[in-house]
Amino acid sequence: MERGVRSVVEARDLTKRYGNVEAVRGINFSIAPQECFGFLGVNGAGKTSTMKMIYCRTTKTSGQLDVFGMDAERHPQAIKRRIGVVTQEHALDPELTVEENVLLYASFFGIGGAAARHKCSELLRMMALEGKASSLIRELSGGMKHRLAIARGLVNDPEMMVLDEPTTGLDPQARLAMWQLLLGLRERGITLVLTTHYMEEAARLCDRLVIMDEGKVLAEGTPRQLIDRFAATDVLEVIGVDFENVRVPLDGLVRRRERHGETTYLYNEDNRALLLRLADAGVDAPQHVARQATLEDVFLNLTGRELTE
Amino acid sequence: MSPLGALFSRNSWNVFRRDFVAWQKYAASSITINIFDPIAYFLALGFGLGAYLTLGAKGSLLQFMAPGIVGVAALNAATFDACWGAYERLNNNGVYESMVTAPVDPLEIAAGEYLWQGFRAMLYGAIVLAVISIFGLVHSWWALLCLPLLALAGIVFAMPAFAVAMMVKTQEHLFYYFSFVATPMVMIGGVFFPLDKVPHWLLSIAWLTPLYHAVIIFRALVLGTPNVGLLANLAWLLVAMALFVWLPVPFLRNKLAR
Repeated sequence: MERGVRSVVEARDLTKRYGNVEAVRGINFSIAPQECFGFLGVNGAGKTSTMKMIYCRTTKTSGQLDVFGMDAERHPQAIKRRIGVVTQEHALDPELTVEENVLLYASFFGIGGAAARHKCSELLRMMALEGKASSLIRELSGGMKHRLAIARGLVNDPEMMVLDEPTTGLDPQARLAMWQLLLGLRERGITLVLTTHYMEEAARLCDRLVIMDEGKVLAEGTPRQLIDRFAATDVLEVIGVDFENVRVPLDGLVRRRERHGETTYLYNEDNRALLLRLADAGVDAPQHVARQATLEDVFLNLTGRELTE
Repeated sequence: MSPLGALFSRNSWNVFRRDFVAWQKYAASSITINIFDPIAYFLALGFGLGAYLTLGAKGSLLQFMAPGIVGVAALNAATFDACWGAYERLNNNGVYESMVTAPVDPLEIAAGEYLWQGFRAMLYGAIVLAVISIFGLVHSWWALLCLPLLALAGIVFAMPAFAVAMMVKTQEHLFYYFSFVATPMVMIGGVFFPLDKVPHWLLSIAWLTPLYHAVIIFRALVLGTPNVGLLANLAWLLVAMALFVWLPVPFLRNKLAR
């Protein structure tokens, strides 16, 4: 986003140190109203620390962080009133029922009595949890816990939701349902800020994202921009061919060549044309995968490491 | 907001209510566990040892111990939950973690816990008070004044216990608090025997404990012999409350900011 345009979150040279560990090392980003903004990276990249500063759980070591135009360090309570938070472990109270969890959380925002009960049943219905109101947390499935955490985070009608790894630990079906849910929230005009280490998730959900590694932001943009800039349209993964010793005129076709282990990644604009050229040149590539470039390739190119654990 | 001021903030009472709602699900077992111990001591020592001892002008050992046991019940009720319960809520259950994602200040968490421990101390102490009245050991309506004072004592008992729970790295370390603080306090707090014949150094240590002052007050109220001197004991408890109130807050703040 351009400077001067009103942003919901604005970070400048933001750092966070825990003792000697520098978790966040001078990052810049700004999040626009009503967009879905992602932080993509492996565990330990500094995503969670950044989230914690945004939702005012912890304070920065240096730099500047404004949320809704307010200094996050000086106005934590005013900021918390306007956001919803879903932490990684959810922090659902195991000694309370589903309904009691939501009502307690509502009380912290000054919502009580009939208004709170009404809000609670509306949220439980929206999250398909209405039959579980008097269940204890341990009686819920993983997907239900995720949904309850989101229901609780929505209790104060937040302008922005901060979600730390909203789909980690979910099976593919529940993950898909969660994506639908999050897209629904964005449609309602809620700014979404999330972390993930799933490329596909970032590509599907995020309008814009930053790729973080070792406390730094390596790249920023829309998923498409990042792929164009740091990968290519197509990728041909060729296994077992040593391109160092093969003379093929690939210059016009391959934008970039990377080798990781036995696999060579040929970033190009058209897999079909590339395969034809290889066949013409007599290169036998019996094992290959032809696919579109993804954020996975962007991450690999930026860090030299794969994202998936 | 000062910690004492936080006792009146809305969210402190919401924290209190959280503990109350959770407690309702296991109230029966909690009450049984917390008051069985002191009542067993009371009956065994009072009837057993008491058969061999007379305290002269102070009456029977049973009568002497009865209000002391009310104090022990309050101490147990506040200390157990401030230690084990609060440790769980901070480290294992994510209860405090979720509170600080809402506009709740760690100070309000501490204040809410004090209120809750005060309530527990009052309730459990009152049950023991009812038990000793069945034995005909409560002699005056002044004993009703024990109720608010049980709450005050419970808050004072809870503060250092809660501070320790916020400080320790593992749950096992909480045992130190019981071994080095809570249990010795019961031994020398003037619960089981009068302290007028103990060496001066021991009496000085006893004077430093909140239980000593609480038990003196409860005993006078139960016997129906209130006197102006009790105001000094009350003042001790109020000063202790004002001194201890800050104790856990920096540790709690620190842990929650990680």
